[in-house]
Amino acid sequence: MTPMIGRVRRVFGRPEPARSFLRPPSVVSVLTALATTILATTILATIIAPAAAHHVGSYVPRDNAVTTNFKQIKFSVQAKRFDVALQLFEQGAVRAEMRAQAATLPPGLEDGTRAALRASDGLEAERRLMIFFAALARDLAVEADRQLGEPGVTPETRAATGRKFLEAIWRYYNLVDFAVAMRDSKSSVAVRLAFDEAEGYVKPATGGAAPDDPAKARQPIQRIAQVLSTLIETSSTSARRSS
Amino acid sequence: MSAVADAAVWRLPPRWVLLVALLSIACAEIGGASMARFKVELTRWARERMLARPAVHGLVGVRDVDERILDEALVKFDAGLRLFHMHAEGMGLVIIATTMVAATVARSAPVRRAITVLLTTGGAGYPVGYLLWSALIPSYGPDGAKAIAEWLVWVPFGSATIAALWWLAGLVALRMTGR
Repeated sequence: MTPMIGRVRRVFGRPEPARSFLRPPSVVSVLTALATTILATTILATIIAPAAAHHVGSYVPRDNAVTTNFKQIKFSVQAKRFDVALQLFEQGAVRAEMRAQAATLPPGLEDGTRAALRASDGLEAERRLMIFFAALARDLAVEADRQLGEPGVTPETRAATGRKFLEAIWRYYNLVDFAVAMRDSKSSVAVRLAFDEAEGYVKPATGGAAPDDPAKARQPIQRIAQVLSTLIETSSTSARRSS
Repeated sequence: MSAVADAAVWRLPPRWVLLVALLSIACAEIGGASMARFKVELTRWARERMLARPAVHGLVGVRDVDERILDEALVKFDAGLRLFHMHAEGMGLVIIATTMVAATVARSAPVRRAITVLLTTGGAGYPVGYLLWSALIPSYGPDGAKAIAEWLVWVPFGSATIAALWWLAGLVALRMTGR
């Protein structure tokens, strides 16, 4: 007699009838399998539940229209498909944003980018786009500094605001950091160091408490704005000279 | 039918349990269909409510920052509806399967009733937490809404299901060891 049949006898006190291969499995074997599954699932759920809490999915930040369009243009330029890059620029969000932000951008940025793409000049197009994203990041840094300096705001709100701005600044700056480092490594390092410092001031303390003084992040954020302003100025000047 | 033959058959849970389970599955299907049919309307409604409560969502008035916050909340709003659809569908089947096991292996009527009630209410109630979470996100933010759904629904109904499953597992184990 097999051990399986022995177990069946212990449970129900009767031998399991001989099986033909067309017969469905007995209730006992199904019950045993079900019980094992239930037990394993319950134990697993109990072990995992405290760590993962309730499953509510996760969020992965997505590219916005501007960053998506920038990547499309960049990859087209890298593939030497300047006709495609030009078309993507003309119809995309980068050019629309350049127009919307024209007041704070160096003059002629849109025309210069278009001319570079028409002339199949990848380096010049990259420089123009670098200036554009550096300007977007700088404007965000200026606004972050202003909002972090507003009186009557709780440290929690100030820290949360700081984190959100830093995330937005990094989303834009990160796209052109390589291009910045290739042209002005000191500025690239300065921005990254200032960013790390600012992040340290606004990240939650141990136990999720608000940081002591998130307003301290203003200083490195001001530095980011200053370094990027200088970068935009010098890059625009050299771009004008070379054109 | 002899007693030996009786022991070898599955027993059905009470009808109201089956009704609740089927209702849960039906709600899941309706929820899933509505989610797809009214996706644009639901997103627009949620977005408008979020924009009307900038402080709750920590909006700072800068598009580059706020769009990311709104996007996260909208993704979670949608995830809540999807999770309701999936859990209600799955828990409906879990209710049917587990209450059938309870009806078959629990010999004592009060024990059988208690396990059945816990499994049914817990299983049918738990998915509603996702619907509640989703509905509250525009007004309370993802974290605030999660805290409410957790204490009102997930913890009580989830605990009922877990407790009943442990109880049932214990009973099955007892039956397997012949006691």
